[in-house]
Amino acid sequence: MSILAYNGGCVVAMRGKDCVAIATDHRFGVQAQTIDTDFEKVHQVAPKMFLGLVGLQTDILTVRERLAFRKKLYEIRENREMTPKVFSSMLSNFLYERRFGPYFIEPVIAGLDPKTSEPFICNMDLIGCPNVPDDFVVAGTCGEQLYGMCETLWKPDLEPDQLFEVISQSMINAFDRDAISGWGASVYIIEKDKITVKKLKTRMD
Amino acid sequence: MQGYNDGMSRPFWSNGPSPGQFYNFTGGDRSASQGFGPQNNFGAQRSSQPITTGTSVVGIKFDGGVMIAADALVSYGSVARFQDVKRVFKVNDQAILGTGGDFADFQSIQRSINDKMIDDICHDDTISLKPKSLYNWLTRILNNRRNKFEPLWLDMVVGGIENGEPFLGHVDLRGRSYEDDIIATGFGKHLALPIIREQIVEGRPFTQEEATNLIKKSMEVLFYRDCRALSRYYVAVCTAAGANVSEVQKVNQNWEVATVVRGYS
Amino acid sequence: MFQQMNIQQNFPEYNIPGKQHHDFSPYESNGGSIVAIAGKGYAIIAADTRLSSGYSIHTRKQKKTFKLTDTTVLGSTGCWCDTLSLTSLLAYRMQSYVHTHQKTMSTNAIAQLISVMMYNKRFFPYYVSNVLAGLDEEGNGVVYSYDPIGHCEKTTYRAGGTAGALLQPVLDNQIGYKNQNLAEKPEITKEKAISIATDTFISASERDIYTGDSVVICIITKDGIEEKTVQLRKD
Repeated sequence: MSILAYNGGCVVAMRGKDCVAIATDHRFGVQAQTIDTDFEKVHQVAPKMFLGLVGLQTDILTVRERLAFRKKLYEIRENREMTPKVFSSMLSNFLYERRFGPYFIEPVIAGLDPKTSEPFICNMDLIGCPNVPDDFVVAGTCGEQLYGMCETLWKPDLEPDQLFEVISQSMINAFDRDAISGWGASVYIIEKDKITVKKLKTRMD
Repeated sequence: MQGYNDGMSRPFWSNGPSPGQFYNFTGGDRSASQGFGPQNNFGAQRSSQPITTGTSVVGIKFDGGVMIAADALVSYGSVARFQDVKRVFKVNDQAILGTGGDFADFQSIQRSINDKMIDDICHDDTISLKPKSLYNWLTRILNNRRNKFEPLWLDMVVGGIENGEPFLGHVDLRGRSYEDDIIATGFGKHLALPIIREQIVEGRPFTQEEATNLIKKSMEVLFYRDCRALSRYYVAVCTAAGANVSEVQKVNQNWEVATVVRGYS
Repeated sequence: MFQQMNIQQNFPEYNIPGKQHHDFSPYESNGGSIVAIAGKGYAIIAADTRLSSGYSIHTRKQKKTFKLTDTTVLGSTGCWCDTLSLTSLLAYRMQSYVHTHQKTMSTNAIAQLISVMMYNKRFFPYYVSNVLAGLDEEGNGVVYSYDPIGHCEKTTYRAGGTAGALLQPVLDNQIGYKNQNLAEKPEITKEKAISIATDTFISASERDIYTGDSVVICIITKDGIEEKTVQLRKD
């Protein structure tokens, strides 16, 4: 079994009209055994930027801490806020430093540019190859299922409430077909002037 | 595998049976129940790699027939061993066959095909093997052998005329088979197919002349770029008028650019 | 150290350095996806027409649906040579059923037969993903799906093949109304089923390189089997 699928879990992010959404499941397990059903894989790293990490849980925690450190260093040195674009470059470089002994994580970044409010989504492989599409990004053990769902449900220029519906349905139906993802979900809708967090109740099996 | 010449002490006894055990040569068909030798299938391992091989085969359907081409080379590893071998055949007036992969395997199958042909002739009822029957028969033979883990290492293209319609099919060593209007095997799949596909006119089959030219072009490209290809090739053509294998054809070679290429002198 | 002899089986290692060792694998994945949906008075089954292995496409027009009777269609993908073996053996078994029982096989009888035939090769399986769609004795749609060793499940919708993982949650959502909290769940009409099946294939061909070229949709009703083809991405 792949180390990336040792703890299970998934994250998906989508672009909408002047907004982005990012969603995660709540499960943390060790192979088939569920340990925690309140483990969130998405974190707010800036007022308008979220980072989702899936993969090996221990690496999720490490990467999250190290990134926070580097981001603070950047902000002190440069005295300005980090844009999602810069953050993803930093993460990409950070991951590539460990090219031959990687952190077993797949990151997803979603956010709005702090100045222009331009929506931004990005994902990477475990060694930091970035992908910045204009529709959606998926990561985790039910990535295939998520691709199938997103590819059928997503369309351009979704309003925030529509985007919420699309991302929720995509994520829930995808992880219902994955044994090591699920157990509830959180959805973050990021708009110019507000951030909405919604907790979803889902099947717990 | 490691440590052949590491200067360290070599094992006392290697590359043979343990003391008191029997030699087991490959190819024997000794079943485990005979209680002789190890209780496993060791000694029954058949060759599972090709030895004397032919490279690509290219087949095209055209208006009123099909043609199959293959070069005249049968290689022995990287040795260009047999340089005037026909790898395309006339089976009868309505079926032709091209073969790549292990040539010995092909010859063994050819004997069976010949036996079938003789049976047909002996019946004297004017019924003879049709291309689809041959194609299906080959599929079953090859699949049966892969089920025994003793594949006939072949990549074959079957063509012909059946009920007035051109037929072209491909069968590989696993018995995986499909029909199409253009078929190429091996390197031909990467080099010849795109060249031929470029020339397709939607809603119209190739003419025989177009097909001949496309085969010529394909064999030329294959000769230049496939190291296991030769400049001489044969073409088998089957139309309603019957089937025949051409005289040896030669690829148009042009090596003028060779003087410009640096690094090989 | 020189490679140790295998004490337990007691035969020496004859591998010689530098010698090419070519292990023959009897299996090959030739790709392809199937979607089947059953409803009141109809069943549809769709499969793409791409036959490939690795990065090369063998043909863009290989049908993967097999008409077994006037009311039953089998979709079969995976190792194509196994599909061919299985379907021709199945045709033979069905013909011999006709001769012994003087009637064509019902859909559920075929479903059972396929399961038995697959399990017969339990230790050298047919490496295929099968989905069987047809009409039951009342004329309503049924779908049976299989794993490679003959486990059989009766459902109303199923996605199989290389894009099975992509398509199944979409069907759960759109056909099974999963996670939709509706007061009532409207029945899926034949037209709706066809359009969902087509859409799922368009989505699948975006993300699965083994699915594409075109999709053949078989629509099974008591009036017979109608066939439709929709073009898909060819890259």
